[in-house]
Amino acid sequence: MKIFAFANQKGGVGKTTTAVTLADGLARMKVKTLLVDLDPQGHLALSFGLEKSPGLYRLICLDEPLEKVAVRISANLDLLPGDKQTEKVKRQIAISDFREAILADILHEADYDAVLLDMAPSLDVLHINGLIAADWVVIPTRPDALALDGVKEILTTMAEINQNGHRYRGYSILPTFFDRTTRETFLQFQELAKTFGEHLWPPIPQDTRVRETVAYGKTLWDYSPNSVSMNGYKDGKQRLGGYKQVLARMLEVING
Amino acid sequence: MAEKKFERRTSLDPAVADLLSGMEQRQAESQLPRKERERLGRERAKIQSRREQRATYDLPPALREEIRVMSEDLRIPASQLVTLALARFMNDYNSGTIDLGKYKQPSRSPRYDWNLVFPDDLIRMKKKKG
Repeated sequence: MKIFAFANQKGGVGKTTTAVTLADGLARMKVKTLLVDLDPQGHLALSFGLEKSPGLYRLICLDEPLEKVAVRISANLDLLPGDKQTEKVKRQIAISDFREAILADILHEADYDAVLLDMAPSLDVLHINGLIAADWVVIPTRPDALALDGVKEILTTMAEINQNGHRYRGYSILPTFFDRTTRETFLQFQELAKTFGEHLWPPIPQDTRVRETVAYGKTLWDYSPNSVSMNGYKDGKQRLGGYKQVLARMLEVING
Repeated sequence: MAEKKFERRTSLDPAVADLLSGMEQRQAESQLPRKERERLGRERAKIQSRREQRATYDLPPALREEIRVMSEDLRIPASQLVTLALARFMNDYNSGTIDLGKYKQPSRSPRYDWNLVFPDDLIRMKKKKG
């Protein structure tokens, strides 16, 4: 099993949409997947057209089993939803022994091929739990200076966790809201490539279909499977970027 | 002698490298005078419009050479000769006048079930008349 954390301390960079689209994509590739909402906003459930519910709270504070609190979305996809009660989870974790590894202990016993953690844009005890549980951290970022500062912050936190003995298998930077026609995007992308090299994954093109899909409670796989955010930019016969290409990168990680 | 400067190359995801190189090209073009930019834009559109027509197949060298010679003799583009030949073949195949059965041999490839094995005299360089 591989656990992926989708993290960036900057909000509005596409963490939730990315986690939803890739989780649904993995499930369609017959990878048994669990998607976990670590954000008290509880937006993962809304993305699937469901009501928010306190799944994480029931799991950690009420000690209910994962199988009971996870919601079946499709044949290979389960969702552990969250809502504002996730705030209580943070308080519960803060007063517990071995508090940094509570989530890791629960998830490592779960029967899934892949677990995707949608992290809140914050740096609290739940965030640390997510990072400690993760094998691989995906850092979605807009190609702008403020979001890139969030990347730096997350990498610093990961380095601190590394110093305490946790070893990540790797991390990837995922540019989102990518508009290849603007000079600012080009300069930021060039800088990312220079700084992060092979850690930089192909970007997700800016696409209004992404915003629409949430309003319909569908994932991009159902609502707009051939949109530019899914297929990437057309370059001759090949496609560059998009969620389908990123999904292929994730499968490479899962298959080792 | 001036000291050589070495720059460490960063390894990139192939899609990232291709995208970056395309963006670098566009950025460089944006610095050119308007007429030059328009000319490059027209060239790019021409290349893109022809991409759909392109295909790559392996052909026996003798057949390729025969097409080249024929193209020069008749002063007709080789692509058009090959298009005519393939269109005629497809018509004959669809009307049942061509039987692939006599050329078929089982293939050991996981991708294909059959290979076509041609007799030596089918594909050969014909001598130029006159």
